[in-house]
Amino acid sequence: MSSESSKKRKPKVIRSDGAPAEGKRNRSDTEQEGKYYSEEAEVDLRDPGRDYELYKYTCQELQRLMAEIQDLKSRGGKDVAAEIEDRRIQSCVHFMTLKKLNRLAHIRLKKGRDQTHEAKQKVDAYHLQLQNLLYEVMHLQKEITKCLEFKSKHEEIDLVSLEEFYREAPPDISKADITKGDPHQQTLARLDWELEQRKRLAEKYRECLSNKEKILKEIEVKKEYLSSLQPRLNSIMQASLPVQEYLFMPYDQAHKQYETARHLPPPLYVLFVQATAYGQACDKTLSVAIEGSVDEAKALFKPHEDSQDDESDSDAEEEQTTKRRRPTLGVQLDDKRKEMLKRHPLSLMLDLKCKDDSVLHLTFYYLMNLNIMTVKAKVTTTTELITPISAGDLLSPDSVLSCLYPGDHGKKTPNPANQYQFDKVGILTLRDYVLELGHPYLWVQKLGGLHFPKEHPQQTVIADHSLSASHMETTMKLLKTRVQSRLALHKQFASLEHGIIPVTSDCQYLFPAKVVSRLVKWVTIAHEDYMELPFTKDIVEAGLAGDTNLYYMALVERGTAKLQAAVVLNPGYSSIPPIFQLCLNWKGEKTNSNDDNIRAMESEVNVCYTELCGPRPGHQLLTNQLQRLCVLLDVYLETESHDDSVEGPKEFPQEKMCLRLFRGPSRMKPFKYNHPQGFFSHR
Amino acid sequence: MERAVPYTVPLGQREVFQALQRLHMTIFSQSVSPCGKFLASGNNYGQIAIFSLSAALSSEAKEESKKPIVTFQAHDGPVYSMVSTDRHLFSAGDGEVKAWLWVEILKKGCKELWRRQPPYRTSLEVPEINALLLVPKENSLILAGGDCQLHTMDLETGTFTQALRGHTDYIHCLALRERNPEVLSGGEDGAVRLWDLRMAKEVQTIEVYKHEECSRPHNGRWIGCLATDSDWMVCGGGPALTLWHLRSSTPTTIFPMWAPQKHVTFYQDLILSAGQGPCVNQWQLSGELKAQVPGSSPGLLSLSLNQQPAAPECKVLTAAGSSCRVDVFTNLGYRAFSLSF
Repeated sequence: MSSESSKKRKPKVIRSDGAPAEGKRNRSDTEQEGKYYSEEAEVDLRDPGRDYELYKYTCQELQRLMAEIQDLKSRGGKDVAAEIEDRRIQSCVHFMTLKKLNRLAHIRLKKGRDQTHEAKQKVDAYHLQLQNLLYEVMHLQKEITKCLEFKSKHEEIDLVSLEEFYREAPPDISKADITKGDPHQQTLARLDWELEQRKRLAEKYRECLSNKEKILKEIEVKKEYLSSLQPRLNSIMQASLPVQEYLFMPYDQAHKQYETARHLPPPLYVLFVQATAYGQACDKTLSVAIEGSVDEAKALFKPHEDSQDDESDSDAEEEQTTKRRRPTLGVQLDDKRKEMLKRHPLSLMLDLKCKDDSVLHLTFYYLMNLNIMTVKAKVTTTTELITPISAGDLLSPDSVLSCLYPGDHGKKTPNPANQYQFDKVGILTLRDYVLELGHPYLWVQKLGGLHFPKEHPQQTVIADHSLSASHMETTMKLLKTRVQSRLALHKQFASLEHGIIPVTSDCQYLFPAKVVSRLVKWVTIAHEDYMELPFTKDIVEAGLAGDTNLYYMALVERGTAKLQAAVVLNPGYSSIPPIFQLCLNWKGEKTNSNDDNIRAMESEVNVCYTELCGPRPGHQLLTNQLQRLCVLLDVYLETESHDDSVEGPKEFPQEKMCLRLFRGPSRMKPFKYNHPQGFFSHR
Repeated sequence: MERAVPYTVPLGQREVFQALQRLHMTIFSQSVSPCGKFLASGNNYGQIAIFSLSAALSSEAKEESKKPIVTFQAHDGPVYSMVSTDRHLFSAGDGEVKAWLWVEILKKGCKELWRRQPPYRTSLEVPEINALLLVPKENSLILAGGDCQLHTMDLETGTFTQALRGHTDYIHCLALRERNPEVLSGGEDGAVRLWDLRMAKEVQTIEVYKHEECSRPHNGRWIGCLATDSDWMVCGGGPALTLWHLRSSTPTTIFPMWAPQKHVTFYQDLILSAGQGPCVNQWQLSGELKAQVPGSSPGLLSLSLNQQPAAPECKVLTAAGSSCRVDVFTNLGYRAFSLSF
């Protein structure tokens, strides 16, 4: 329908032009007298609520008219057409109204939108402004903080404190009155003062430097002077040597010795120091000398690179050779052993002179890798010694110092750590090497200040002077006694081998004037042979027959009676007595197991030995014991009770004076000799 | 035969001397304490050592239990004989007899109670006392030894009441014949003499060496040991060990023992004897050798039977002689262990 299509058409709103068709609308409402018709103005004037009512009314009217038209059209009739036309015109008017209303509505809408748009724009502008301002504020704040943080270089300088500043600075710089009020001025003043001070100090520094130069130059000059002095002093020393010798003051020699001593390894050095001190203080018969090559000793401390180069070269060579020849493995092991047992090139020689002018020469060596000391000994006498056969071992370098202290046999290394080193190179024991290396006695280690405690094995054992000093005197005395007793034995053995018991005149009182039994034989026997003898098993079981002892067999005879005596000579003779075990062959074999009197004879010699020691050093003990043995045999044979059933005289008539022949439950013979009465009695 | 070599400890002078002393020690005498738990033994150096038998025989005995609990120097010379009463220990050796209190000894306070020397005739040499005998009925102690006399000492007063002479050489041993009471003594002169104590004279003499069956001239004639059982007596020494009937003075049984015997005693129905040679011999009264039990010393000088009623668990036979050891036989058949000085 045309009314509907006119509704659908969007009416264009003409702003400034007025639509002439809208004349109907201009009824009472427009009071404007403008030349143009503005519908916008009209909008402002009209009330939207009333317009809405009008619209509703108009729609109602239209609907009513349409309904009436409808009715009329359906009724039909002639006058219908005029009514319909009438109603049509009314409805057209209503349509106009609706259109106007529609326009007004659109205009109102547009106006509203425009207003909103404007407002929004304003708000946006403000918003933008606000943001700009905020941004600026932030920027300014940052700048402010930057400014506040700014440190001027002057603050890095450590200025003196205020009090000091006011105290020290001269008033023209400190300007107290101005600066105290104004911090800026104060700081400026302080900086000024700092500058002043620095300038002054720089001056001082330059002065000091120049001073130092001067002094260095002076020192140089003086050094030159001193070094030129040394050769002059040497020449004076040389010149004074003859004077020293003339006056018996060998300072030069001692000085040289001390020079070489500096290159000694620590234990040898300790020994050197202690021995010289002891020699000077207590014992004039001790002399100390250093032997060996000092250059080699110095060479031991060469820098490593040289030796390493050499080693690598030699290693390379060795490798080549091992590829060619197999058996160098043993040679290598041998070399390793030699290396392990290497001695320090320097050795210490101690000479102990004894009363009879015989000298004990001791050479001390230091085994570097094993950290132990060894000693080689030699005894020389003023006259040439003819060694009797049985005395072979007495003074031999191998055994003369054996067991100086009980149990110190010197065949094992005293350092327990050495065992691990030995295992690496296949050395079983040091015993095989003692002949060439010397004996590692415990007292030697103590003299060198080396102490190897058994309970707490230490990693490194260092040489200690106090240990050496505490053992020096005893050891020296023991060494002297040892040499002298061995020499005494030496002489005595020479006599014993000829069947003569050399009893000195001051020991004659121990024995009767007439001794009939004679010593017939005196030989050494081996340790194993001693142990095999049937009558020695008591001594062996008591642990008194070790392999460090010397063993001898003596044979005493009288008539048909033969007395065998097996002697154990302890290296500690004569403080430890020789031990005798007897076997008498006369009317049967009698030993201590079947004859109490033989036991008593042994007791006389073994247990009562203190009477037989003789004058102080006690070197006469062995010979006195042998002489007593002869006397005892005499007594035994002469006091043997006569068997009444056998005819004939006694083989040995009694010549000894005895008070009683038998005593006690075991019927002992009188073995004790009483001097000066000269009779025999029982103990 | 390979002999095992013992480990030799480093021996200084002192250790060597002590070892030598022990090797040459002889134990002459033994005596059991009144309580039966301790044994005293005296050696040739004049020392007396007290061993604790109860400790050594107990089940927790260690090596130290076989060592003496106390050793002290009793005499200057050897201790040849010892005898115990119910409170005292008497020891005698070189010429004097000393008395000790057992309780004091056990507390290790070794001071003698008193010492006495019988009146000797000779003064040149002090004679030894080889045998001590207690006569309980008369409360006296009889000493005999080197001066060939028997001295009687009254224990109450300590004085020497009698000196019985008759032997021509020194006396080795004494035995008591309870019934009468009579004392038998045997000596170096080869005679066994019986003495009546009340009448103080010799009533019988038996010269053993004159009897051919038992004499052994190559050993000598000395009588080293005596034991008596009222009518019977057994003696030995140089002559063979013989059992005698006292009233008739005839030898009834000769025991075929070559070695001279130094100690003999009756025990139950056996005769125990010991002497040269390491064994303790057990004889039947008929003369047969029942057993020979070896000990640890090469010769034995004394036997001691611990028959104290107070300690039946310590009933052992101990034998000592020419060594520093005392052998203990718990059962007469074998040696159980040895105590040692």
